[in-house]
Parts: sequence; structure tokens; C-alpha cells
Amino acid sequence: MAQSFQQDCVELALRRFRAGEIDRRTLIAGLAALGAAPALAQATRNLVMVNWGGIANQAFGQFYGEPFATANAGWRVTQDSTGPSAGRIRSMVESGRVTWDICDSSATTAVLLGGQNMLAPINYSIVDRANVTGPVFAMEHGAAPYSFSSVLAYDSARFPNGPPTSWADFWDLRRFPGQRLLRRDAVGALEAASMSMGRTIQNTYPLDVRAAIRRVGEIRRNCVFWNSGAESEQFLRTGEAVMGQIWHTRANVLQRETNGRIRFIWNQALLQPGIFVIPRGAPGGEMVQRLLASMLANEDAQVGLLQMLGNGPTNPRAAAKVPTEFRAVNPTEPANAAQQVPIDGVWWGRNYAQVNQDYLDTITG
Amino acid sequence: MRRDAGWWALLLPAFLLLSVFYIVPIVQVLAISFMEPEPGFGNYERIATNLSVQRVLLTTARICIITTAIALFLGYALAYAITLASENARRWWLLCVLVPLWISVLVRAFAWVTLLRRQGLINQTLMETGVIAEPLALVWNEFGIIVGMVHYMVPYAVLPMLASMREIDPRLLAAARGMGASRIQVFTRIFFPLSAPGLVAAGVLVFIFSLGFYVTPAILGGGRTLMVAEWISLQILDLIRWGLGTMMATLLVVTILVTLAVFSRVVNLRRLFGGAR
Repeated sequence: MAQSFQQDCVELALRRFRAGEIDRRTLIAGLAALGAAPALAQATRNLVMVNWGGIANQAFGQFYGEPFATANAGWRVTQDSTGPSAGRIRSMVESGRVTWDICDSSATTAVLLGGQNMLAPINYSIVDRANVTGPVFAMEHGAAPYSFSSVLAYDSARFPNGPPTSWADFWDLRRFPGQRLLRRDAVGALEAASMSMGRTIQNTYPLDVRAAIRRVGEIRRNCVFWNSGAESEQFLRTGEAVMGQIWHTRANVLQRETNGRIRFIWNQALLQPGIFVIPRGAPGGEMVQRLLASMLANEDAQVGLLQMLGNGPTNPRAAAKVPTEFRAVNPTEPANAAQQVPIDGVWWGRNYAQVNQDYLDTITG
Repeated sequence: MRRDAGWWALLLPAFLLLSVFYIVPIVQVLAISFMEPEPGFGNYERIATNLSVQRVLLTTARICIITTAIALFLGYALAYAITLASENARRWWLLCVLVPLWISVLVRAFAWVTLLRRQGLINQTLMETGVIAEPLALVWNEFGIIVGMVHYMVPYAVLPMLASMREIDPRLLAAARGMGASRIQVFTRIFFPLSAPGLVAAGVLVFIFSLGFYVTPAILGGGRTLMVAEWISLQILDLIRWGLGTMMATLLVVTILVTLAVFSRVVNLRRLFGGAR
């Protein structure tokens, strides 16, 4: 199973914390607030937010849970790090004993599970669509308080005559020899393949799936495929691959670590929403919708998350509040967003099962 | 008879525990393969009609058979050497065989990556000594997967074969030599036939273990190989095609049971699970 973006953020932050790049107090602040809660515990009601483990407990607790609990007396948000894969959400909803209120998921899963009646629709009379910068962040069965991007990252030392600047260059093995790196998941890879064949960021969709998969097949012998974000980082760091399509958070780490030898570009990157979904029958009821609404509305917390994990804000007021040094690595910074393709999560949700299977069959063929 | 009944009664709690908390849920899961997306044998039809399913099965079978063959060959040589070694040397040999068993499969896979990758130890050494000009593709392919799996499987091949080889009466070998047989004849006509049950038992064990491999192919395959275990996880967790995923799981279970059933006629399977002698 491919690792999800959220799992990866968690891992990334944990490492930064261990390396001393993140203030311990920042992390503990969230816990301290929770630690004060037991006195109130009997009177408080609880919402369960499910993340992908590790430091998301603190990060999401601090930037999503804590502000909500402060604003809503008698409520608190606890973190559960089970990892809400589509399969797990489905088995919980089908068992009829739902204990999860809100899950860190994806656009694809929101459509996939939404179509199977496993999710509560987002109540847009409570959640405000005006709090996100684009329709890609507000879906029928999920909304995104953060964003991320699949970017083209490369090792500049390997290309003294000029680096790759587009997916067309990525597919040009003659001008840019060396092993490539793609995610072992069709989402993002097929858009890149389409753009390499001349589609622009405006007309990437509708995808010509067969042509795009064939295009990936052309370079598959010069490709390795990553499952987890750590793996993607490692492939580039150790020189196994000279360029790759990886998450911007990982590319950012590499760029910092190598002082810009490995760097990434926003051009033709795939902008994606960090969608949260609500399982059908979530015990928190309407309060879960309010929690999600508060996560979208709180631009300061979103900027905080950007500084800690690298996840981009989705609130239109956030960009102006991002400190200058973080603007270059913020996927929703207007100048960066303008160069990217917002992913079509609805199309992916409807077609993911079949298209991803075909993609995997091609790359493992 | 009554004494026997007492023993069976003692087994009852374990039996109930296993059937209620283990067998029933497994059967429930496997039953999904007949219920989704619609009742019937639709999922099983795909074994015959779906190229993707067939490719996964073929890849898995190919990798498992190659792994088993190599692990048996290496394991047999090792077991043979250990059997013939002195008591003291045998203890060291055994330690060397057993130690890898206690190292996590994850750690071992990453260790192989370090050795096999383009800028890894092997490629660096070969390039510096001028044997090769370009790094060899030793990992991110089936070669890398098989190296990792064989490394994992060799101890499992050695142990049953060692047990069966140590049962061979050394006087038989001495007698054969005394009657004029060459060393090769002693091996091919006396030792090998007597050790054959252990070879088969080890083969069954290694093959069955290989079928369910997940971590090693995922790490050493570079994403370019898909084996059954990973395919099932993909269907269940990501693509939520539970019918298809459980079909493959059922197929895996049935394959294992059939393999066991067939070979239990050929060889005493108790040997496999530690009940030697």
C-alpha cells in the first residue's frame, strides 16, 4: 500500500523535531492544554480526529483541536493515530459502531467512499466555502484545511548544461539521462505524463488515460517507484534517481539539506487538497461539521502548520500572513499556485480503482 | 478410550478459542469474495479472464519457485556441512544460521539496499577496481527481491534438512565406503535418498512462507514488482475492492492448504513443525 501524504507529514515532522529543528515547547503546548483537561473531563464531550500517527497528534491537536476546544467550552478534540485508510473507514461504518468523528483523508477517498454512502456530506451552511481559495478544497464529502503538491525535484549537480524545467524534460531521457522517480500511484503521475505530451496546465483535463499510461510505460525501465515519502527522499538523496515527482514537503527538506543542490520547481506541479472526511454516523453529529468549519476558518493555525510541517494553508486570508521566508515553499502562495494544476479529485474518485490498477499493471509489467 | 477422552477435553478450550476468534472471522472475510460486488463466482472468474490478476499470480509463483530452489540448494549445502562438522564446529555453524532469524525482516531488507544500490558497497567496489564501468542494476528489480528473500529463507531451509540429515546413521556411509563405493556414490546412492524427506519438507516450508512475502518485495522491488500479499492489501485498504482482495486471499489460503495436503502424503509433515523423530 502506498503511504499517504499525511502519514508522511507526520514522519517528517517527527524527524525535524528529533533533529532539533522544531521547538519542543511548541509541541508540548498542545499536550499541556490537554493535560489540564482531565478536571473537566466528566463534563466535556469529545470529538475524535483520526490522523496517520506520530507527530500529527501534536500538530493537529495544536493547530486544529486546541483552537476549537478553546472556542467551544465543554468540548475537546482527541487525536487517534490509527491511520484512516479507505478500507478501515469502510469497515467501521459497515460494522455500525462508528467511533471516529473526522479523518485525515484524500480527495480520491472522499469520492470513493462518498459514492458508497460511507461518509456524511459536508454541511455547507455550517462550513463556509468562502474560507478556501478554490473549489478543489471544498468537496461534497470532504473539505481541506491544508494543501500539498507533487512537484518536479532534481539533482542540479547532474545537469551542468541546464536543469529540467517541465514534465517534457522529465520524459526526455536523451537530454536528461538518469533514473527517474515516480509515485507508485496514478494520481499526479498521469497528469505529468499528459503534460509531457503537450497538454498545458489549463487543459490537462480531461485526461487521455490510455495515452498517459502508455507514456509512463515508455520510461518505466528508467524509473523507480516510491511508496512512502521517506523512500522518495532517500532515492534522490542517495543518487539512485536524478529527478522525481515527489511531495513538496519532502522536496523542501532535500533542498534545505543539500543547500539547493537538490531543488524543486512549482511549474506544472499538481496541487492537491488535504481532505478531511466525516464517517457516516460519526458520534459528534453537527459538532463535527463545526470543527471542520473552524479548521478552514482559522488562517493563523494554518500558517502555523505550514511553518511546522510544510503543509500549505487553504484559507484565502492566510497567504498574506505567511512569513516571507516561507512563501517560496508554500504551495498556495498565489505566485506558486498559478503555475500548478489543481488536481481533479472528483474525476479521480470515480475512476481511481480502475485507472490505478491499470497504472500498477503497466509499471509492474 | 476414557483416558483419550480426557486428553481431548483438555484440547477443547484451545479449540473453541481458535474457532470462535480465529477461524470464524477468517471464514467471514473469505466469504466476502462470493458476495461482492454481486453474489456469485464473478471474482473467481477473473483468475481466468483478468490479465492483471494472472500477472500477479505468475509473478508471485515465479519469484517463490526461484527463491525456494536457491534457498534449498544453499540450505542443503549448509546442512550437509553442519552434519559432517565436529560437535564444536557444529555449534558455531548453527549459531550463524540462527542469528539472521532474529534480525527483523525490515532491517535486513534495508541492509541489502545499502549493499546493492548504485552507489552501494558492491557497485562501488566493482567500479573502483575497474571491473565494471557502469553500476549494475542489482536492486529495484526481481533480482534484488530474490536476493532478499533467499537470505531470509535459508535458515528455514537448513533447519528441517539438518534434522533429517542428523537422523542418518553415519555407519551406513562408512559401510558403503567399506564396500568400495566412491565418495560421490555414497552421496548419491545413500546420503541423498535418505535426506530427501527433509529436502521436501524444507521445500514446502520455504515455498509457503515465500507466498505471503510483503516487506521484502516492497522495499527491494523499487515499486516495479507486485506480489500477491501487496496486491491484496492494495485492494482492501486503497481501492476498496474487497471482493477481489478476499478472492486473492482465499486463493492464497487454498494454495497453501493444497500444497500441505499433497506433500503430507509424500513426507511426514510433523517434521516441518518441530515434531521430528
